[in-house]
Amino acid sequence: MHFSIFRYNPERDKKPYMQDFHVDVAPTDRMLLEIILRIRDTQDDSLTIRKSCREGVCGSDGININGRNGLACVTRVRELREPVVLRPLPSFPVIRDLVVDMTRFWKQYDSIKPYLVNDELPPEKERLQSPAERDKLDGSYECIMCGCCTSQCPSSWWNPKRFVGPAGLIQAYRFISDSRDRATRERLEDLNSDPYRLFRCRTIMNCTEVCPVGLSPSRAIERIRLRMLDVQGHDGGLALHRVPTIR
Amino acid sequence: MAVRIAATGLRAWLVQRASAIYMLLFIVFLLAHFTVDPPHSYPAWHAWMTSYGVRIITTVFFAALLAHAWVGLRDVVMDYVHATALRVCVLALLGFSLAATGVWMMRILWMARG
Amino acid sequence: MHRTKAVARTRVRDVAATGSPRPVFLDLVQIQMPVGALTSITHRVTGFFLALGVPFGIYLLDLSLEGPQSYARVTRLFDNVAFRVTAVLFVWVLAHHLLAGIRHLLSDIDIGSRLPIARRSAWIVNFGGAAIALFAAAAWL
Repeated sequence: MHFSIFRYNPERDKKPYMQDFHVDVAPTDRMLLEIILRIRDTQDDSLTIRKSCREGVCGSDGININGRNGLACVTRVRELREPVVLRPLPSFPVIRDLVVDMTRFWKQYDSIKPYLVNDELPPEKERLQSPAERDKLDGSYECIMCGCCTSQCPSSWWNPKRFVGPAGLIQAYRFISDSRDRATRERLEDLNSDPYRLFRCRTIMNCTEVCPVGLSPSRAIERIRLRMLDVQGHDGGLALHRVPTIR
Repeated sequence: MAVRIAATGLRAWLVQRASAIYMLLFIVFLLAHFTVDPPHSYPAWHAWMTSYGVRIITTVFFAALLAHAWVGLRDVVMDYVHATALRVCVLALLGFSLAATGVWMMRILWMARG
Repeated sequence: MHRTKAVARTRVRDVAATGSPRPVFLDLVQIQMPVGALTSITHRVTGFFLALGVPFGIYLLDLSLEGPQSYARVTRLFDNVAFRVTAVLFVWVLAHHLLAGIRHLLSDIDIGSRLPIARRSAWIVNFGGAAIALFAAAAWL
């Protein structure tokens, strides 16, 4: 099979370039990551990709495969159209070859407070949930933070510093819908505090298209907006009638 | 001490949705009306357009249209124009144009005509 | 194994923590756009053109209400082929924008927001808008 791979070594190259490789793919070869590692081992040991678990759990090897983000380790290589064009995740700064800098991505994740906020005295053992309450986390807790969605999202392309992005927002929804969390209202108000944080989403749904775990960040964002409408604020609705405040 | 201007994410989103629904109903009404009873002459058209009921629903339609255009175009500007000074200028110009369009429309609808 | 001449089209714009610029891959031609993205960007473009068209609509309304002569002028506009072509384009732009808008309104209240249905509804919007425009073209051209 023919592969065309994005190459960039900051110590050697002024600009990135595409490099062609040819690999004989056997019927026993299954996933794209195996082939990338074989190219590294047999043809060019400088080829760089981030990987860890090799089975779609850790979310390290998110790359752009024929224009579509996905995890190399769970992408069936023999089903890909040739030449297989591999590039780093779009819109993320490239550190080297297929490895990108995810600092901004983690900052956005951090900004939604990805932890339970609950000041009540903890019970002796643990905070319990009913099975029904636990079910509400399904569809958002499974996120592996690989960055595929945020990197494919046009709203994130134009405003990466201000728009939280689909990955951060589905995580926000995970904590908004957690029965043990006591900061639901603060979370909703925070996402409405700046019209860039959540409301850049135009429900393009590229995020849901590419999610390797099959989650739907676009749907989580729609649900957050509905939750915002539900919240009864001091003046009958969340920030609907907020006037300029001087602090 | 810092002045914080009202955040308008959810409000703008609601205005966009509410105005869309009204305009949708209005357009369906117009299509239905003109299919059943198309205006045959100037006097018929003029009488229909200047009846109070039609004037009022048309006024609301244009208010919805301008609000909808404001939110939509504001979103376009917010997405693509990143320099703050330029963005404020473009938004101000946009707001002025929409307001002027509204005044023009109100003149047509409510100023006495022969 | 060789370097190809086809350069990876990227922009060097991001400055990393080290202070050295890092390339960013964001070539819209190379990134796949699913059907929903196509519907969405068309929704935005059609909305932009509809907003541009508002003054022309108001102008025609004004003219039609000014008096019998100007009313006749407005109705005669339809004899002009260029005007009729513009009208067909307007129908396409409006139909697409309305259909895509209805799709969004339904998705907001959790109707059709699952991916398989959203993909199908995106196709329906894209072809529905074009189909309505074709009807208008058949009637007017």
